Amino acid sequence: MHDMLQFARGPLFRLAFLVMALGLLRLVILALWGIGQMIYRARDHNNPYSKIVKTTLTWLIPIQRLHRIRPWLSYSSFLFHMGLIVTPIFLLDHIHLWRASIGISWPGIPKTAADALTLLVLAAGILLIGIRIFNPYTRRVSGFMDYFLVLLILFIFSTGFIASRPYNPIPYETSMLIHVLSADLILLLAPFTKIAHCVLFPLVRMTSELAWKFPPEAGKDAAIQVHGEVKPI
Amino acid sequence: MANPAAAAAPEQSAKAKKYPYYIEKPLEEGRVKQFLDIFAAILRHSNYKPLLDIYSRVVTRCARCAGGCQIYQATGDPEDIPCYRSNLLLGVYRRHFTLGGWLRGRILGDPGLQESTIDEMLDAFYHCTGCRRCNLECPMGLDHGLVMRLARNILSEMGIVPKALLVSVREQLQGKTANTSAIPAPAMMDTCEFLEEELADLTGQKIHFPIDREDVEYVFFPAVSDYLLEPDTLMGNAAVLYAAGDQDNWTIGTKYFDGINYGLFYNDAILGRIVEKEIAEVRRLRGKKILIGECGHASRSAKAFVPTFNGGEAIPVVSIQEYTFNALEQGKITLDPNAVTETVTYHDPCNLARSGWIVEQPRKILKSFVKNFVEMEPHGAENYCCGGGGGTVSLDEVHDYRMKVVGKIKAEQMRATGAEIIVAPCANCKKQLKELVDYYKIPATVVGLHDLILRAIRFPEKNGAATSEETYEAGEIKENSPVSV
Repeated sequence: MHDMLQFARGPLFRLAFLVMALGLLRLVILALWGIGQMIYRARDHNNPYSKIVKTTLTWLIPIQRLHRIRPWLSYSSFLFHMGLIVTPIFLLDHIHLWRASIGISWPGIPKTAADALTLLVLAAGILLIGIRIFNPYTRRVSGFMDYFLVLLILFIFSTGFIASRPYNPIPYETSMLIHVLSADLILLLAPFTKIAHCVLFPLVRMTSELAWKFPPEAGKDAAIQVHGEVKPI
Repeated sequence: MANPAAAAAPEQSAKAKKYPYYIEKPLEEGRVKQFLDIFAAILRHSNYKPLLDIYSRVVTRCARCAGGCQIYQATGDPEDIPCYRSNLLLGVYRRHFTLGGWLRGRILGDPGLQESTIDEMLDAFYHCTGCRRCNLECPMGLDHGLVMRLARNILSEMGIVPKALLVSVREQLQGKTANTSAIPAPAMMDTCEFLEEELADLTGQKIHFPIDREDVEYVFFPAVSDYLLEPDTLMGNAAVLYAAGDQDNWTIGTKYFDGINYGLFYNDAILGRIVEKEIAEVRRLRGKKILIGECGHASRSAKAFVPTFNGGEAIPVVSIQEYTFNALEQGKITLDPNAVTETVTYHDPCNLARSGWIVEQPRKILKSFVKNFVEMEPHGAENYCCGGGGGTVSLDEVHDYRMKVVGKIKAEQMRATGAEIIVAPCANCKKQLKELVDYYKIPATVVGLHDLILRAIRFPEKNGAATSEETYEAGEIKENSPVSV
């Protein structure tokens, strides 16, 4: 058991992390390449960049917009993300691991704060899943991954939370192994699922805006490729 | 929340939902292959591939957009959630144009695009009015309006376009009259002469509609339907131009005088061809600027796409509202504050307001002479669509849908203001709002902005305002500033 745990948080973690880092890097490069291509193909280069950046930043911390529509969804989603970003990176136990595996470390947050954040993530995550299931509208647009990823995150947080508690019914190492393995899994999945939005987010609005600058011949060329000519209307 | 009629007779309702609009030719066989071929061709030549690439990766299906969509709010039908609609197309993209989707399809045995999906699309994408209100509420920044356009573009290359739009565009691009209302140039000139006489009676001034004048500042393109339906708007436009001293500085071209561009709603190639006609007419008359009348999509399609289809070079595009606002700011026009005593509210056309382009200008104009101005809530960039956006206002066959579903919120908004006059500076919105006012029996009149200005505009005894060139420079409109439109 001990060896397996060492493997899961040693080599396996490093592999998962590498897959995540390289995979996400690939997505960013592809997205930037796409943006470059869009600018190159468009004839009109008068783009409102400062407005795009401003809107993107507003949505990075969207506090003033959350209450406006679907407040339950918006707030739980926001808190979920906050806990999700802060806890794994700043929990002291994790920082030790980071130092052990990649050799750098940084100041952490107190354990009580981490506990509180974990509970927050669990509560918000359960709420999010609840909204997805019980709101018939959201249920219609949801697919397997939409449930699975949140459940996986909840699973990671709850196993991490109870691993070292006195009331943990399963042995420490077993629960730790489950915790680490599922964490490795989500890192592996990141570049191939919607989790990719963690790095693509800043580029989405830019892409949306640039896509309105059409290459002038695009419509005609596509029509010619399909019909062999520009057909009369 | 589902429509009770749909629950009672699912067969019938599904059938009724299938083709919400008339199309010209019966649908052909082998549509799946056709759809995918066209999709592939468009992806190859256009800028949509990077867009769909990033969209299909980040779309989280949080459905927050549902809260912003007025159609969804009226129907409560999950299939009206903007994200669901976009996913119809994103799903096809993922399955047929990405490696991951192809692999997954192979492993899970997903056959991909089906005839039934196409049926669903031709229904879904013409339910949307392209108001892009959902874009404001998407945390990720997806533009469902753009995805909707792309889907319509693919469908239109398959021959699936609402007949009303197709017929108008055919006349505009291939017909003798070269405009969507099929008004021959002599008839347009007759109308202008008649309006000149009307204006003389109304104001006592010799206000002209200059035809085919060369080397002028402004070449004027209103929504061509204004010549048939909105004489007051046109007279208001001419009166302002006259009062501001630009009487001899604008013109209407006889070769092409239509601002309407249905290409914006469904097809890139057509969008381009129509914009090119506008540019050609401005070139022919050696005009300096494009002046668009009161029309949302005409303004936006020119403002946003003239640089694209003019080799990257911008011919300044001015909306008549910007023009009037500037004239007012410079004190060139005088509006009588006692002329309009009714309560007035202003409807923001999505194509003007969503990007924040024209929001404050008309309000400042109105507030300068209207005593009782009230706002709808929400308004400005967050306004609700009139319910006839995206070309749907031209489809009489979806009248009930426009009234009962899409326009419902707008009707409630209008009623809540208690306004007697609803100002809508857009030919499209005006038609829809007038129908709404009738349908919901709202005690109000729908007019254009310049209709009201015409009622209030006053001229000095001796008109000495013919010094346009020098004075106008001072308040130059910033035509070339980057706007997202």
